[in-house]
Amino acid sequence: MTAAPPLQDPVLDLKMVDTLVAECGQSPDAVIPILQKLQAHYRYLPEAALRRVCELTDITPASIAGVSTFYSQFRHKPVGRHIISICHGTACHVKGSGLIQDALSRHLKIKDGDDTDMNGVFTLKRVACLGCCTLAPVIKIDAVTYGHLTPETVARAIQDFLELEKRQVVPRHYEQAKSTPEGLTEIRIGVGSCCVAGGSQTVRQELEDEIKNLGATAVVKPVGCVGMCHQTPLVEIVSATGEAVTYAKVQPGEAAQLVRQHFKPKGIIRKLRSGLTGIMEHLLTDDAWEPVSRYALDVRDAPVCSFLGKQRRVATEWCGDIDPLDLNEYCAHHGMEALKACLGAESPDSLIQTIIQSGLRGRGGAGFPTGRKWNMVRHAPVGQKYILCNGDEGDPGAFMDRMLLESFPYRVLEGMIIAAYAVGASEGILYIRSEYPLAIRRIRDALAKLKAHGYLGRSILGSPFSLTLRIAEGAGAFVSGEETALLASIEGQRAMPSFRPPYPAEHGLWGCPTAINNVETLALVPWIIRSGATAFTALGTSTSAGTKVFSLTGKVQRGGLIEVPMGITLREIVEDIGGGTGSNKKFKAVQIGGPSGGCLPASYGDTRVDYEALAAAGCIMGSGGLVVLDDSDCMVELARYFMTFTQHESCGKCTPCRIGTKRMLEILERLCAGQSQAGDIERLEQLAHTTRTGSLCGLGRTAPNPVLSTLLHFRKEYEAHLAGRCPSLKCQALIAYQINNKCIGCTKCAQACPANAIELAPYQLHVIQQDKCTRCDICRQVCPTDAVEIGDKTSLDGTGSKI
Amino acid sequence: MPNLIINGKALTVEPGTTVLEAARLAGISIPFMCSVKGLPHFTSCMVCVVQNTATGQLLPSCSAMATEGLVVETHTEAVVQARAASLNLLMSEHAGDCEAPCTTTCPAHLKIPLMIRQLVDGQPAAALATIYDTIALPAVLGQICPAPCEKACRRGRVDAPLGICSLERFAADEASYTPPPPTLPTQKRIAIIGAGPTGLASAFYLAQAGHECTIFDERAKPGGQLRYGVPNHLLPVAVLERDIQRIHLPGVHFRMNTHFGTNIALQDLKAQYDAIIIATGKTSLEILTSWGLTATSKGIQIQEHSFRTSDEKIFAGGEAVQAGHLTVRAVAHGRSLAISINQFLKGLPVTGPVRRFESRLGQIKDSESQELLKEAAPYSRTVSLAGSGAGFSCDEALRESKRCMHCDCRKAESCKLRDYMEIQMAGPLHVPPEGRKPVERNITHPTVIFEPGKCIKCGICVRITAQQGESPGLAFQNRGFDATVGVPFGDSLEAALGHSAKLCVTECPTGALSWKDS
Repeated sequence: MTAAPPLQDPVLDLKMVDTLVAECGQSPDAVIPILQKLQAHYRYLPEAALRRVCELTDITPASIAGVSTFYSQFRHKPVGRHIISICHGTACHVKGSGLIQDALSRHLKIKDGDDTDMNGVFTLKRVACLGCCTLAPVIKIDAVTYGHLTPETVARAIQDFLELEKRQVVPRHYEQAKSTPEGLTEIRIGVGSCCVAGGSQTVRQELEDEIKNLGATAVVKPVGCVGMCHQTPLVEIVSATGEAVTYAKVQPGEAAQLVRQHFKPKGIIRKLRSGLTGIMEHLLTDDAWEPVSRYALDVRDAPVCSFLGKQRRVATEWCGDIDPLDLNEYCAHHGMEALKACLGAESPDSLIQTIIQSGLRGRGGAGFPTGRKWNMVRHAPVGQKYILCNGDEGDPGAFMDRMLLESFPYRVLEGMIIAAYAVGASEGILYIRSEYPLAIRRIRDALAKLKAHGYLGRSILGSPFSLTLRIAEGAGAFVSGEETALLASIEGQRAMPSFRPPYPAEHGLWGCPTAINNVETLALVPWIIRSGATAFTALGTSTSAGTKVFSLTGKVQRGGLIEVPMGITLREIVEDIGGGTGSNKKFKAVQIGGPSGGCLPASYGDTRVDYEALAAAGCIMGSGGLVVLDDSDCMVELARYFMTFTQHESCGKCTPCRIGTKRMLEILERLCAGQSQAGDIERLEQLAHTTRTGSLCGLGRTAPNPVLSTLLHFRKEYEAHLAGRCPSLKCQALIAYQINNKCIGCTKCAQACPANAIELAPYQLHVIQQDKCTRCDICRQVCPTDAVEIGDKTSLDGTGSKI
Repeated sequence: MPNLIINGKALTVEPGTTVLEAARLAGISIPFMCSVKGLPHFTSCMVCVVQNTATGQLLPSCSAMATEGLVVETHTEAVVQARAASLNLLMSEHAGDCEAPCTTTCPAHLKIPLMIRQLVDGQPAAALATIYDTIALPAVLGQICPAPCEKACRRGRVDAPLGICSLERFAADEASYTPPPPTLPTQKRIAIIGAGPTGLASAFYLAQAGHECTIFDERAKPGGQLRYGVPNHLLPVAVLERDIQRIHLPGVHFRMNTHFGTNIALQDLKAQYDAIIIATGKTSLEILTSWGLTATSKGIQIQEHSFRTSDEKIFAGGEAVQAGHLTVRAVAHGRSLAISINQFLKGLPVTGPVRRFESRLGQIKDSESQELLKEAAPYSRTVSLAGSGAGFSCDEALRESKRCMHCDCRKAESCKLRDYMEIQMAGPLHVPPEGRKPVERNITHPTVIFEPGKCIKCGICVRITAQQGESPGLAFQNRGFDATVGVPFGDSLEAALGHSAKLCVTECPTGALSWKDS
């Protein structure tokens, strides 16, 4: 861990500003990169530094003030030495991220309204999504991720982090491995964000150490995401003869054992076992309180078959097989064939024709036909044109784009080069959110390599076609995913959408015709060119061709990144691929499309994944978030959750969205707090209608969807809340904890209760004092006999006993 | 040149014309708040929406271009609803009163804070002119008004209310009054029966509008109860005379010692005059019905706002329609009568005075009181050295005037939000008043006052300061509902609004930016 500057810099050294202005340029559009670099250096944006930027550049004070307060990445106040990012993505939310946040504040004694503890060590930061949905609930302390937390275990996570810091363990970054020489066993390890968060870097280190130690005939090879995020970290051992064994949830400390198992007689393992325990000291995910489950996974095993069987890999082809940054390997797996074919023989027009015939529609959510979009740009007046890759994936609970950029950078870039060729663009930008550092690093490396090999730059592969690509880092604004807001952001403004038309295809970046495509859309392009339009249409339904990548999370046994053919039913996804809820709780609904999407009840399980079918059911395809909910999830609370998100992310430009989302949120908060007023449901409906029809951009127009769809399918739950009850027993203000007669008087709950709401009473039935209880859930979790139950608040009198 | 159709009207416009501009050229008015000609459009308020007939979609007309073949309607039900919804949402966060509580409480609706600002500015004549806009007997009311306004004064919740009545008296006593130049005679004749406060006030405003007024009264001198009912120690005759003197405008005739019913009959008056006002004061039911008018024990029955009786030519006010002793109400009736008759004589719908939409804060928090107190002197209520019966001296009046918190809005008469709310008041969406922005005032600029709680985030001032090259200028800060307009780096408003101040204040569609002295 690098030493952090102190909380407050008494004298600010501003020389740094001059250096970085020289680096980023002085034009107004350099404002975001400059702010990002300033913050990387000072850890916040000191006013003196901002004023200096204005002196040195063409950036105005109004612009720097507007931009630096718009994007949530930027901080204007000094922060603690370490930042704890608490993920509030949908998956984490349904698994209790709110309780985790409360527990952290309590543990660090952070006052209401503050975000940093008194000693300036830790700063708490809510983040929309860390993209590790399968480890939910997740927090990240600086670069270390802790998953599967409970309110009770946050203290240990912090302690563990401080110990790591003391030992000065430096997190390792992934570099590309040398290619595997013939005759060697390949040990593949996932290096996607989920696997890394699951501890794969440490596992990899151990594997390498042990191979060296044993002199084994094996190499460790980093591979992209396999999609089985519920099993991270995954290790696959492929022998020289091609036999493969997969190990799931391999924990640090066990990796060495795996290597020995494959390369030494079994007897030795037994001898070494006692010595192994010493390694298990500082683990990233805490096996100290959760027994490590490691087991061999064979693809022939039934669950894995189901998980993989119904999937169809197009955008994620060769997942888990190829090293993300090995260009040779990408080419050996048909990579760059499509690009070569296009540049060699195909005219842009016939290429666009193929895409039109394939029926490819934008995977960002709205589903606009990609070929038509390209055609518009191609036939816009001659001049400068741009290609943009929209990687501003912001749905909490979705990480498709992140995974594609991390695991298949060359495929995305090949698709983008083809798109640029088709539309006649000579410059392009990949807009990637800064919350995805790994994706940015991989794309940067991949761009350098493509340039070195003649796939980018002047006269690509000897053709007359030239293209330069660069990365623009997003700074934390969900609305930047809207294409006109994306343009504003690249141009160095607040990411506020503008009225369309004109569409970016006619009047885009700097007023030039611009094609904007989503990451997944571009990743599908090479396959379509290589396999033909009909192969793609054969995969889907009549209006929705091909496949769709989803991040399957929530109350599901086997979550992860999945790619399915269009037309598959929701039930197949939840039951067959996901294996159901994985608990005794019933599958209640799926939430599709995140904050712009809606909830479909289990009775709609036969709905097909198809743009039109989902719309007809009151939902949208969205970008690919798919959260499974069980009967312990409250739909009103979920609507409140999404409205909190969109209200926070509204850019504030147009009245219906800026104020409408706020007023809707107030009503939803009242409903969840048991303070609703008569007529609230009707008011909510009316506001939803107003915001839907009157808002300027897609964010505002779709913001009411989570409300409208839950009102449509779960209106009874709203009515119950109006009467002060939460049928799912989820809304804290409407429930009460109580102890039943299963209590054996072990005092565990009383000792664990952070609010002193339970009096210590050995061998007696314990009682929760309702006026002190904060409903943090800790007592229920520590109770060894399931004696703590949650009940309806209205069924309790003031003393906590049942009426 | 694109051809389009707006409300069925075919138009051809220059390429690059917005739908809003095209409609304006065609004489069709569309409400709008966030756009200004010559500035880039921003598409924020969503009040200017129109409906695309082909798709049914609502388009912001300030940003949608007039394109070939476009067909739009500007007043469909969906449009009206969407506009009302946006306006209601804007109102739901609006932190400001259109009129100060003192003004809304005053039966005559006197613009008290404006009067006080004029006194502070050392312009008592202007202050008196402000009083005369709504009150025709200022000296009288300065003496005897029970001042309901003072009960509503927000300063009363801090220490003690302003001495509004004494200030009015000061202006009436000390300032010289020049009546506005007479309008062209209309050749219309009005008979006013009763020379009490209602009759006198109505004559004053009717004469100003160019009508010929004849006041009939059975007594020897005008003034009614003010002369013959109120004891002299409460209202010296000299004070009354001064007010009456100012009502002696060209076109005002007094026919004293004329008993209505004996010397003149209603039927004759109806034949000779274009309209008749009955301001006879408290009159018995028997007499009232004998005139052939519908009446109850309380008085003559009139239509609520127009003061019209069952006879369309006859209007009535004062105690003849409503028993009670508030002189200020009787005086206010006089002005309302004049407005109704003016409408009647011009052939307009007779509605009485315009009842404007009013944003009302109601009770405010203590922290908000503190914001308003920024403009007020901290000391306690002024006591006249000359004794409680005497008026303020110049110094005392100035001292007391400085205590005013200026609760009113400086843009009450030019605020677009108020204008449009008035038109759209029957909007379908009612948002509960909670969650409005806090009342805030930035008074650091020498001439401009900035009230963020009234800002609708249209960004007009942000664009103006940028266009005019102000540095630092104004900037949007934060995002979403928390977005505000402010000065970068917390610099002063004076630094932000230099040469562009005038343009910003003029173009700001609400009272967020206004002149301090307006």
